[in-house]
Amino acid sequence: MHLTGYFLQRLARGLVTFWFAVTVTFFLVRLLPGDPVLAVAAPGMTEEIRQTQLQQFGLDRPLLVQYFAYLRELVQGNLGVSFLRSQPVSQVLMERLPWTLLLTGSALLLTVILGVPLGVLAATRARGWVDQVVQIAGVVGQSLFVPSLGILLLYTLGLMLGWFPIGGAVKSGLTGFSYYLSVLHHLILPCFTLVLAQLASYVLTLRATLIEALGEEYCDLARAKGTRENKVVWKHALRNALLPTTTLIGLQIGFLVGGAVLTETIYAYPGVGRAIYEAVGQLDFPVLQGAFVLLAATVVIANLVTDVAYGLLDPRVRA
Amino acid sequence: MTRRSVLMGGVVMAMGMASLSPASAQDATSRIVIGTTADVVNFNPLVGNSRSDTWVTNLMYPRLMQMTDKGSKDPYVATAWGYSEDGLTAWMDIRGDMTWNDGTPFTADDIVFTVTAVTTEKIGVTAGLIPSFVSAKAVSPTRVEFTLSRPDGTFLTNIGFWMPIVPKHAFPEIGQVAAFANDKDWVSAGPFALTEVNAGQNYLLTAVDNYPLVEAGKASVDEVEFRVFPDVNAQALALRAGDLDLIANSLPAPIARTLQGQPGITIAQAPSLGWSHVLYNMTDAELSKLEVRQALSHAVDYEAIRAIAMQGLANSTNSSAISPVLSYWADPEAKEYSFDPELSRQILTDAGYSDANGDGFFDGLEFSLLYEQSAADIANWAQIMKDGATKAGIKINLTGLERNTYLARGREKDFDIYAGNWAVMEEPAAYLGLAYRTGGFINYASISDPDLEKLIDEAQAATTPEAVKVPVQAAAKLIQDKVYDNVLYYQTFQFAYNSDKWDGFVVQPSDLLSLVNPLSLASVKPKN
Repeated sequence: MHLTGYFLQRLARGLVTFWFAVTVTFFLVRLLPGDPVLAVAAPGMTEEIRQTQLQQFGLDRPLLVQYFAYLRELVQGNLGVSFLRSQPVSQVLMERLPWTLLLTGSALLLTVILGVPLGVLAATRARGWVDQVVQIAGVVGQSLFVPSLGILLLYTLGLMLGWFPIGGAVKSGLTGFSYYLSVLHHLILPCFTLVLAQLASYVLTLRATLIEALGEEYCDLARAKGTRENKVVWKHALRNALLPTTTLIGLQIGFLVGGAVLTETIYAYPGVGRAIYEAVGQLDFPVLQGAFVLLAATVVIANLVTDVAYGLLDPRVRA
Repeated sequence: MTRRSVLMGGVVMAMGMASLSPASAQDATSRIVIGTTADVVNFNPLVGNSRSDTWVTNLMYPRLMQMTDKGSKDPYVATAWGYSEDGLTAWMDIRGDMTWNDGTPFTADDIVFTVTAVTTEKIGVTAGLIPSFVSAKAVSPTRVEFTLSRPDGTFLTNIGFWMPIVPKHAFPEIGQVAAFANDKDWVSAGPFALTEVNAGQNYLLTAVDNYPLVEAGKASVDEVEFRVFPDVNAQALALRAGDLDLIANSLPAPIARTLQGQPGITIAQAPSLGWSHVLYNMTDAELSKLEVRQALSHAVDYEAIRAIAMQGLANSTNSSAISPVLSYWADPEAKEYSFDPELSRQILTDAGYSDANGDGFFDGLEFSLLYEQSAADIANWAQIMKDGATKAGIKINLTGLERNTYLARGREKDFDIYAGNWAVMEEPAAYLGLAYRTGGFINYASISDPDLEKLIDEAQAATTPEAVKVPVQAAAKLIQDKVYDNVLYYQTFQFAYNSDKWDGFVVQPSDLLSLVNPLSLASVKPKN
């Protein structure tokens, strides 16, 4: 199949997936136990006020009417208005998105920069001591509990040694270069935590696929032709071994945008994850739906990019 | 592909970095930094009701009265108030020297606008508390008159405490006030003006030059910054590191204990204005019987709950629905139910209950106790309550639920015994109606008692404190005698601040006012 056809096919599939995710989310949010009005009930609340608020939120209408109204607004790019903030959902999310992009983008970048050499190192020294260390570290890394790790890092590196700020995204009152320096300073610990939490899966996946690739005939052929082992690894085997890792990266992007909740909470980092966490507690349906739309779009786009990259790397998948 | 992945991460990071904008430079001479666990959700003070909302907007929008440490309401913006002889008119005089920060005078018109918007649009806390309101009129720039549908002695103190006043000239027309986000160009009249908001991070307020409610007409501190720390452990570390000066939210006992010994950190305490309790579902065939409720009331080890589950940070209300903190209203004769499982057994045996199958429990007396799982203190004392009931031969099954499910089950009255707490209950004549009147919004127990109703009506219709006191005390006694509500304790909240750097906080009761009330933050001074 031609690359354009392949792309259009994947795009159509992505749109259907997006609609499905939006629909499931809409009904799932409404299945959450509790009453959005009661979640923020004030001491003087009466049944009359509750009914007025349900009406203001549009929750007194039949579910299907709410659903089609929501789809209509969504098509026009309107994510609705937060129940609690009286602000458009897009505004609520856009205030947080840049911080999430910075944090997760940095984490993704670092994970790849560190993960690929570590995976290669472990694979090329399979069953050696380096490999053993990487594997043990990988298993430990996969079982790390983010809040405990976060508090430990804040206590030791923040409070005891004073190397890093205790939470936040930037020191207030700064301008110019010192502002950006402060942003980077505040970024280090939460970014490091996210990298630690996800590095293991990249390294272990890459290690396994690279070991397999290095045993393939095309690598033997390259060696027989006198190609240096270094070149066999980096030029021939790694290209194929990276395919599953690429898929993993695509899948992880969605997780990173929403899944940084714990990291953002511990480090008082003002991202989308925390907005989702707060919206769940307060049953703020529009913000929850908006955040899930954002996540669904992120995952669909990331997968589309991954599929296209896959198609470029391995033309066989376009067949 | 490696290059592509690196590029992907780089692009995402660059997008984030490029979208961030530097804050404006501030060169404050003194700034107090306060930690909160949650963001401000809504800057419209009539709508927002989270603690962070209240802490920030309280510094911007004045209330008419202020709470004393005894729980009574003193003049603040309002200087005097009262009711006509027939109780159908109420009046209030206010100060004449206040202005909004854009220079517009603060007048009685602002009060009329606010109360009319609140009642017309049924907004927030105040709307439910003033059903007797008919209309308001500014008879002069400093005097408001209210027309009431019936005598209501709680009306003025309810609007005085619960209703922040908003500027008529800067808010939208009535009909649109509830939907007004008020998220920029703030016009306020508190000791501080909001100057900078960074969602998810911090809120900066600057002292205004004309705030006549404190000595010298201006707050002693130049700036107040609220910084959001969703995790209370990280918040405590920030206080120790000197990044925070004060923690606004009350601290869990273990964290307060850790901070207690740290150099330069002081733990302040404030009593709650609410209480923790269990309610019995009166629609249940067994729980509707007085003897069963009496037996349950004597099956609770109150001292153990306060000493162990609450680690000593709780005081008895003498089983009364009026806490001793509200010293003017509280009945000094009230006495706590005794913990006496044998007495419980005797009451049940006398009422005809027996243990025919010999399993140690009276037949037919098995109840579920509903509580919020994430409320650690309640989860602890629910177990103590279960153990006490077992000794009395009553079987209790604990049902811990996620917060929203718990709230919904309470609202739907889907429980046998309901464990929980009320936050701020400061005006007995008003809250007795909400909690115990037939059909009251928080009458989760479905109590319906004509004698009680009569006393509540009498208390609410009285227009002087002296006339209110007798029926509210009688109502509280009736509630206690009939065991409609088993009030266990009122909590002592703990707050931590950097006492090396700051002095002069004014502590007010409840975790809502605590050290973070307008008077306190306008009075606090940097040391040296």
